[in-house]
Amino acid sequence: MEPIILTEDLKKVYRIGKVDVPALRGVNLIVEEGDYVAIVGPSGCGKSTLLHILGGLTGPSGGRVLVDGNDFCCMDDADRTRFRRHKIGFVFQRFNLLPTLTARDNIALAQSIQGNGFNPHRFQQVAEMLGIAEKLNHRPYEMSGGEQQRVAIARAVICEPKILLADEPTGNLDTENSQLVLNMLRTLNRSFRQTILMITHNPEAAAVADRIVRMRDGRVVSA
Amino acid sequence: MGNKMILVNVLRRPIRTAVSILAVAIEVAMVLIVVGLTTGLLNDAARRTEGVGADVMVQPSGASFMFSLSSAPVPIKVGERLGEVPHVLAVAPVLFQSDLSTHGLGVIFGIDLESWNRVSGGFVYLSGGPFHDTMDVLVDDWYAKANHLKVGSTLSLLSQNFHVCGIVEHGKGSRLFIPLATAQDLSSSHDKASIFFVKCTDPGYADDVTLAIQRLLPGWEVHSIKQYMSMMTSSNLPALDTFISAMIGLAVSIGFLVIFLSMYTTITERTREIGILKSLGASKAYILGIILKEASLLALVGIVAGYLGTALVRKILVESFPTLYVEPMSAGWAAKAALLALMGALIGACYPALRAARLDPVDALAYE
Repeated sequence: MEPIILTEDLKKVYRIGKVDVPALRGVNLIVEEGDYVAIVGPSGCGKSTLLHILGGLTGPSGGRVLVDGNDFCCMDDADRTRFRRHKIGFVFQRFNLLPTLTARDNIALAQSIQGNGFNPHRFQQVAEMLGIAEKLNHRPYEMSGGEQQRVAIARAVICEPKILLADEPTGNLDTENSQLVLNMLRTLNRSFRQTILMITHNPEAAAVADRIVRMRDGRVVSA
Repeated sequence: MGNKMILVNVLRRPIRTAVSILAVAIEVAMVLIVVGLTTGLLNDAARRTEGVGADVMVQPSGASFMFSLSSAPVPIKVGERLGEVPHVLAVAPVLFQSDLSTHGLGVIFGIDLESWNRVSGGFVYLSGGPFHDTMDVLVDDWYAKANHLKVGSTLSLLSQNFHVCGIVEHGKGSRLFIPLATAQDLSSSHDKASIFFVKCTDPGYADDVTLAIQRLLPGWEVHSIKQYMSMMTSSNLPALDTFISAMIGLAVSIGFLVIFLSMYTTITERTREIGILKSLGASKAYILGIILKEASLLALVGIVAGYLGTALVRKILVESFPTLYVEPMSAGWAAKAALLALMGALIGACYPALRAARLDPVDALAYE
């Protein structure tokens, strides 16, 4: 079976002023559908850049990226946006909920952007699974960090994405809430075979994953 | 959901929203008031001229149909020749006098009461009566109300003190009438007149009489009242259309600039939120759409506020200046003003919207 993520000699170079700064120097990575992969490494090693490329937020500078059979090297920004809308869910360290909307509206917004309309059954299922049913009418500033992150996870998975990309999802949480969020991710992976790629600095968080990928200086050093 | 987000965003910054709405409202009200004032001025002058009751107007060559812009007077004897034209019942010579300090763009009519009455059917006196003295003046009821005049009051006109001898119903040519001889004396225009109002034996002869007078007085401005009414449009007045266009341009610029600034600061403030939308898969068109819809919402509320503002300003103007006629808001101009405001807002929001749509999602998500 074809892997859901395949990168070959993936490169990304940022141009800052007149200087080219390589962020990825040839990343080779294979992720199978249903895998729960933790990506660890020191700051500046290219973890977030890899996640942004796999999520279609930015394009690669070289090499090959196949995500669910789609070659990102042949896709423009509009194609990658369309792909992201239907296949990718993001969870960020800073939750990134829209501050003016309630939890319910933040989650429903993802469904609205996807264009399939509001699915109350799926909504209820996700809200109950993540334990946020009581908080749906609250705005982000009325919720704890853990609750906000669970809402963010709900928003990321409401449209049943093929891949969930989590960028340090426990980075802003205390131990108890971190554990809660990690359990949620584990449940999503186990119960729904949700493919998850998670960046983390936290060894305990990484230990929850099936596999740990280590990066250094823009390369994968152990997978 | 998108619409709910737009509404919430608009309510999130009440001061900015209020300023944007106010700017659009001022834009709409400015357009409608300027148009109302200019068309009101023209229509009022036209209605009053029509109200004289004449069928044909005869003015010397080069004279303007706006009486306050008219050229030098001509010998009054011309009136006698006009009286000999077939189907002419009566001819009333009038000498215009301008007194900008008291009468704005209007003119004072110097009239010979006897011939004037034959052409117009006579004044309706609300109080007082006709001239008895050379320094008598007749004023219409609107002018009397605006200037708190009554019979017996003294009115300073043309650097002279006139005695108000009567207050007449409005709608017959001018708001102020003085004896023709007095007007001629004050302007050293003895035996001269600025215009001749001609009454036909039957209004149906107006065109025939017009043609006959044009043959009699080649080069003169001879128009039937019907023709005159059709000429009283802004496009026939020198520079009026340009003035209206300039005012509309200014109004639209105000709306455009305020919406531009408002949406530009909105985009800067919401850079991170735009990044979040992009991470959820929102396309450029989606981002463009929410910004333009937000600008449209501000414009639409501003347009309604502009209509209400126009009605309020018109009421204040009419009550404060009874002689000033402000045309009520027409459906056509209300629609044009709304369209201008909406287009101005959308054009103003275009650049911020495009900028938002083009934001790099990674940079936007990292924005502090």
